[in-house]
Amino acid sequence: MATTRILEWIGRLYIGLLLAFLYLPIIIMALMSFNASPFYQLPFEWTTEWYASLWQNDQLISATWNSLEIAIITTVISVVLGSAASLALYRYDFPGKKFLQALLFPPIAIPWLITGTAMLIFFFGVGIGRGLFAILLGHVALALPYVIVVVSARLQTFAPELEEAARSLGANQWQVTRRVTLPWIMPGVIAGGLFAFAVSFDQFVVSYFLSTPGQTTLPVEIYAAIRKGFTPEINAVSTIIIVVSMALMLLTARFFKFGGEK
Amino acid sequence: MAGQVAIGSRSGLRSALPLLLPAYLWLTVAIFLPLSAMVFFSFMTELPLSGKAWAFTLDNYTAFFSQGLYLTLLLASLRLGLEVTLWCIVIGYPAAYVLAKVLKGRSREAIFLLVILPFWSNGLVRIFSWAMVLREGGILDTALNAVLPFKINIDLMYSYPAVIIGLVHSYVPYMVLTCYLTLQAIDDSLIEAGRSLGASRLQMLKRVIIPLSMPGLVAGAALIFVPVVGSFMEPRILGGRTGTFYGTVIEDQFVAVFNWPLGAALSFILLAVVLAILALAAPVLRRAA
Amino acid sequence: MAGVQVSNVSRSFGAHKALDDVSIDFADGGFYALLGPSGSGKTTLLRQIAGFDFPDSGRIAIGGESVERVPVEKRRIGMVFQNYALFPNMSVADNVAFGLSVRGEAKAVIAAEVQRALDLVQLGKLGGRRPHQLSGGQRQRVALARAIVTKPRVLLLDEPLGALDKALRVDMQIELKRIQREIGITTIFVTHDQEEALTMSDRIGILRDGRLVQEGPPEEIYDSPKSEFAATFLGDANILRGDSTGNGIRLADGTTIAAGAGVSLAAGTKASCAVRPERIRIATDAGSTVQANGNVLRGQVSKRIFAGNNSTYFVERDGQTLKVIVQNTGIERLAEGQDVMLSWSPESTVLIAAS
Repeated sequence: MATTRILEWIGRLYIGLLLAFLYLPIIIMALMSFNASPFYQLPFEWTTEWYASLWQNDQLISATWNSLEIAIITTVISVVLGSAASLALYRYDFPGKKFLQALLFPPIAIPWLITGTAMLIFFFGVGIGRGLFAILLGHVALALPYVIVVVSARLQTFAPELEEAARSLGANQWQVTRRVTLPWIMPGVIAGGLFAFAVSFDQFVVSYFLSTPGQTTLPVEIYAAIRKGFTPEINAVSTIIIVVSMALMLLTARFFKFGGEK
Repeated sequence: MAGQVAIGSRSGLRSALPLLLPAYLWLTVAIFLPLSAMVFFSFMTELPLSGKAWAFTLDNYTAFFSQGLYLTLLLASLRLGLEVTLWCIVIGYPAAYVLAKVLKGRSREAIFLLVILPFWSNGLVRIFSWAMVLREGGILDTALNAVLPFKINIDLMYSYPAVIIGLVHSYVPYMVLTCYLTLQAIDDSLIEAGRSLGASRLQMLKRVIIPLSMPGLVAGAALIFVPVVGSFMEPRILGGRTGTFYGTVIEDQFVAVFNWPLGAALSFILLAVVLAILALAAPVLRRAA
Repeated sequence: MAGVQVSNVSRSFGAHKALDDVSIDFADGGFYALLGPSGSGKTTLLRQIAGFDFPDSGRIAIGGESVERVPVEKRRIGMVFQNYALFPNMSVADNVAFGLSVRGEAKAVIAAEVQRALDLVQLGKLGGRRPHQLSGGQRQRVALARAIVTKPRVLLLDEPLGALDKALRVDMQIELKRIQREIGITTIFVTHDQEEALTMSDRIGILRDGRLVQEGPPEEIYDSPKSEFAATFLGDANILRGDSTGNGIRLADGTTIAAGAGVSLAAGTKASCAVRPERIRIATDAGSTVQANGNVLRGQVSKRIFAGNNSTYFVERDGQTLKVIVQNTGIERLAEGQDVMLSWSPESTVLIAAS
């Protein structure tokens, strides 16, 4: 009994340490974005000047707009195409289905460095070149497998008899989809959309290889700034980015259980 | 189960095609054709653009094997991948165990979410945050010197340990996630059965729990090892000069040296290594499914 | 082998009293059933005996040795779980060998013991299989072999037949009983199935809301339940309520019901009588013979359910529905709506104090 209690407390302490390891650097970075010293010197003096100066940084602002625009378009396209594909994979059986499902894993499993450089070579070769359009092409391709996997997981919990019941009541294929199937998979679709947004908004590697000066996204711009030298301004924009993406994932968690409990 | 239409029939394909085509067409244009093109270009002397003369060649591959540098760097990257993976197991597995088998109820769900949340935030930013902590006169340095009675200089920035720390920080949630999922699937009555047969906690861990969670460990290891071997941004920011790895060399070919065919060849070699590793992991994962 | 003594054991989870001052003596070599509805505490009690959980107060002894603070792995018990809990990563033989191997027994000894245990459960040839390749009944046998191979002092079974279908259940009941007799191990068996408890066990303990309601051999509990709950939970019973006359009751309409000897209560207190449906004779009102000192009630058949070898009649009487089970001898069939007379002997009537 006593040993169980002690082990439990050691376990809790351990998780606490892990959480500290995971969050402390981020918290420190965020704090430094409110520190007056441009060289991160202590003692801490409160200021919001770095956030104010972000507003003056046209390059960062235009990169931010690009990032948002691409993330939103990526979300819309990948949710529509991905949900349609999930439905087809769920509803129909045909030769080669297993192969098509297996094809979803290379884009997830292959390091983005390889995917990104391959896209660069190919888009250049066929004349698409680099820039925002190329970045969008890439982001949708990266997000699609995630959407299909998440929506398919939700569809697994859907009873096919429901579709059959609706048909027996006289609904046609489109009515069945719109009034029975879609409402059921909606949480999956929303979660898939949030995943897609996160994949795109936080994407650095692929955007890095496909961007050109002026046609770039926020993470790429931050990377360039970091390599020039650290400034609290980077902390400020990083803090904004991390707050946005964490808030997004908390939202996702509401629609999609990671824990595996059904 | 889903076979409302006759199983495996052509008509199934005909109905499915309009729904499938857009997604898979997109994947083909943006993933599969580029990967094929990369293989193709890796056998060329020059990119067939801007009217330059080009020819087929094996030079890009012979360069890899004749110049010891690339092989050395690939080995360094593989070692980096191995070390980061091991650290992630050492740190992540116990955490997953505590989450799955020790904590109960609502607090477990909340803490689990907290652990995997950073994983879905911007990786670049998280690597950058370590620069704040690790550099000389940074937080770790200041904090330790405030506590310790003697003066020490902590300047981990731009070192191999810094790269390891940053990468472990980035990838450990993966290990927690995959191990948690398999550990949670282990019925508590199995553990009770083992104990009723006289097994100690350690014996249960060794003979039942770890074998049963192997698929999660392997999946986590593959998901960590593969991207770490191909990492370039993390070593650049945290490793500085010591941060030259296989990934950074590939990056250089595309953004600094502009030797794309060589870059393509190096990428393809990395891809082959990655696929070999995934193939090795596959049997364990399939057994789980 | 050893007996198990549970003395004054209580266990609460928060405000919920899962076990409330429970004492039972499980005799050495006996087959004991713990019976009760879900939430009655029967599984909690079994887990206390196993050592997965410890009592807040009270004593548990196995073979005369106090174990209430000894963790499960040191208690030398064998347990069979509801879902069998076979290790999926091991073969059948390795599952059975597990308990011996964690004790560090020699390989040759383990192999011989495992084979003996598998032979005992008639699975001698399946040692190389994996659990998922076995049928439900086979898994059940493996779980049993695994639990007994270590020669535990007591065998604990947590609804072990719950996951099997009816026909297989009956086979396994017989099989389990055979094996238990063969090795003579003290066995404690948790179930919510009264039929299983009646057919298998030497003694039954009925639990309700964390308390032991009644305990004894199956016949004794069936024939002389001490509470309405015991009467209705183990088997079917008609309960008639009224005021005690000492050795019977007077119903609201003045009819007196005489009960068998054995129980007597102070006259005038609230009491009830329990009668098993199969002990009541049913006949048309006219022209039937009545025993001199028998209990008689008149009523009207409201419903008849035919079940092959027997029929159940529901008889309305003074706002209460009584149940009567009659063997189908083919002689008489009573129609719904017919006035009938019910009669039974005082010996078939159990007087119960109001709870």
